[in-house]
Formats: sequence, C-alpha cells, structure tokens
Amino acid sequence: MTMTLDEDRLDETFAALANSTRRAILGRLADGAATVNELAEPFAMTLPAISKHIKVLERAGLVVRGQRAQYRPCALDGARLEEVSTWAEQYRPVWEARFDRMADYLTQLQPQQKTRRTR
Amino acid sequence: MTDTSDSQDAVTIERTFDAPVDLIWQMWTEPQHFAAWYGPDGATIPVAKMDVRVGGTRLISMRVQTPNGAMQMWFVGEYREVVDNKRLVYTESMSDEKGNMLSPADMGMPPGHPATTEVRVELEDVGGRTKMVMTHVGIPADSSGGAGWAMAFDKLAARVSAHTNT
Repeated sequence: MTMTLDEDRLDETFAALANSTRRAILGRLADGAATVNELAEPFAMTLPAISKHIKVLERAGLVVRGQRAQYRPCALDGARLEEVSTWAEQYRPVWEARFDRMADYLTQLQPQQKTRRTR
Repeated sequence: MTDTSDSQDAVTIERTFDAPVDLIWQMWTEPQHFAAWYGPDGATIPVAKMDVRVGGTRLISMRVQTPNGAMQMWFVGEYREVVDNKRLVYTESMSDEKGNMLSPADMGMPPGHPATTEVRVELEDVGGRTKMVMTHVGIPADSSGGAGWAMAFDKLAARVSAHTNT
C-alpha cells in the first residue's frame, strides 16, 4: 500500500531530522552546496562520522550529492523538507487509513445494513 | 466550519459512513470498537481506557511491529467536550504507561510537533447514514523550548525554499 511507503519514508525523514548535528548540516547547506570537508569544519568530529550523518540525510532524501569529481558536493533537496514541514499533513494519510478501516469494520458489524440501505 | 479560528496547523477529514450516528459514536467512545480501527496496519491497541465525560481521562496504548521488534507507545488525553452522538473533543499527548506526558522531541517525534494535539469529531445524521468531520489540530506549546524548536524548523524550511527557488 502506498500509505505504508509514505509512512516509512516519513519515519526515515523524521529520524534523520532528530539529530542536532544533522540539522546543523542542513542549516549550513541552506546557504549553498558544500563538500564533506567544508561541512565537517565547524564540528569536532572525524570525517567518517560526518560522512555517516550525510549518508543518513541522503537516504532520507534531504540531501543530494553531486556526481562531478571526487568532491561530490552536497546540496539540499528542499522538496522533502517542505513536505514534512507541517506535522498535521503527515497525519492525513494515517487518519485516512484509519477511517478506511472503520468503514470495513462497520461493514463487518452490520452485514445486513448494506442490503437494507442500498436502494 | 466552527473551528476556523486556529492559525495552528490542522488536518480535517470528512467522511460519510453507511451506519447510524450512534454506532459511529461508539467507534470513538467504546474501547473494543475503537481498538478495531484505530491502530495502523500491523499495530494493535492493547489498552484503551476511556472515561468519556468532560474532564475524563483517556489512555491509549499502541503496539507497533518495527524491524527492531515490537514498540509500545502510550497516549494520554482528556475529554473536553462530550455531546452524545454529536460532538467529541479530546486532547492527546505522548505519555508513559502511567499517563505522564512525554515531550515529543524526547520521543523522536518530528520537529515542530506540538506536545498536545486535539481531536475534534463532529457527527451528523444524514438520513440514517452519518457524516463525520474529524479535525486534528495542534495546541500551541506552552514550553518555550517546543516553540523554539518549531520556529527554528520553520526558519530552516523558509531558507530552503528560498534557496531552491533561485
């Protein structure tokens, strides 16, 4: 079901955002693309540690890596961030699925209802 | 609609069910019915305590299967409006199993997620069928920490869209 996919995707995005280092990286990228080395500068962290954070952001669809040269600069992918920027919208598919289940459950509860009410 | 004053983020869904209004009311107010539809696929509702009267408490537990095993979440809330077969309003916050509220940030919830949300359900009989309007709305966080979080995130989102639009 697409709803499950969306949910998984959102989980991934929110998990990626639930980390101050990664949010700081996103903040830096909001000013423009940067290499991993540049991104690592403000942090007291090893390059592999920063790379790991970037990979998480990449998997979550928040950051894209350039293909050119070995620098492969990182850039923000804003679409996903906007998609998740309101908490309420992420609940819409959850509620829609709940009410689908409610409708199914109601049909089970009152099987004769259907025929009686169909005109 | 009656609840338009909120500048808060909200989601509203309208559905019409082929069932009488009192049965839809029971879907929301009787634990065994509520548990049958509320949990996401693959989830169960092992606990649903509902003291359905104004000021009454509700405590819901949701058990979800994750790749790392089963995860049990708790939600506490209070009924704010109870008009049988017509209108139900309750709050909801993440909590522990005793109903002590937990901060959404601690629970790994999305940035900007309000600590308390409110669910409003309005039912209307339409010739034996039921029109239901559900609104899920955030209640402004009273903790400056939560608001700061949300603001920082809005700022980031704004900067991002400004950046991607150029």
